[in-house]
Amino acid sequence: MSLPGEFTYRRTHRASRELLFDCMTQPEHLAHFWGPDGTSTPLDGITVELWPGGRFETAMVNVADGSRYTMHAVFLAVERPTRLAWREADVEGGMITTITFTGLENGQTEVVTHQTNVPPGYASAGARTGFETSLRRFDDYVAGLAAR
Amino acid sequence: MSAAPADELSVTFAALADPTRRAILTRLSTGEATVGQLAAPFALTQQAISKHIKVLEHAGLISRSRAAQARPCRLEPAQFEYVADWIGRHRQTWHDRYDRLDEHLAALGEADPDATEEP
Repeated sequence: MSLPGEFTYRRTHRASRELLFDCMTQPEHLAHFWGPDGTSTPLDGITVELWPGGRFETAMVNVADGSRYTMHAVFLAVERPTRLAWREADVEGGMITTITFTGLENGQTEVVTHQTNVPPGYASAGARTGFETSLRRFDDYVAGLAAR
Repeated sequence: MSAAPADELSVTFAALADPTRRAILTRLSTGEATVGQLAAPFALTQQAISKHIKVLEHAGLISRSRAAQARPCRLEPAQFEYVADWIGRHRQTWHDRYDRLDEHLAALGEADPDATEEP
């Protein structure tokens, strides 16, 4: 298994760092792609105060039943076009997401998404049970099961 | 993207979010145990332990034998493995998000490349 509570995702996009940074920080862009499949992220549900300490909130609406789930985060770092970080305080311990934008050749950009204190409940939006303190124990436990 | 409905995951994670229930699971990792045996290390009534066991059972993390009258509890490793795969589902969430971002970028490029610099 991966290191408990840590998550890294790498991706290369055919766009400049500036444009990608703007896509991740401007409501008009975010509304097009932020919410998981099966949800919409309406413009009026997105708050971006683009400075360290500013709010980053996205309300995701379930297309099927209209239920809403809102991510509440605060920006930790806003360094266009290289780095963006926010913290979701309502996840126990505070889940921190850091996105770095690295320019490659041919106008491409590598986007690395790194998260710490990721609770497993993140997998289902309604299940954020503040689980991170027990993550390591749980992981050891599962590893023990697998070894049997 | 996942085999089980989100609600089932919610139930399982909620079940795991309690220290007493995790202690019960740890005890069960060493082998089957009756409710009485599980209650022994805790300063809790057998009734309280039974409640925790019901939660774990409902979450699919343990099962209870019907063969013996004491109905010993045992782990259901398959459910653990499923929950342990959460990182895969989390990865999928970001994968899908950046897929949609690519689609958005393509649409922007077709519309007007200069328009993308404005909010």
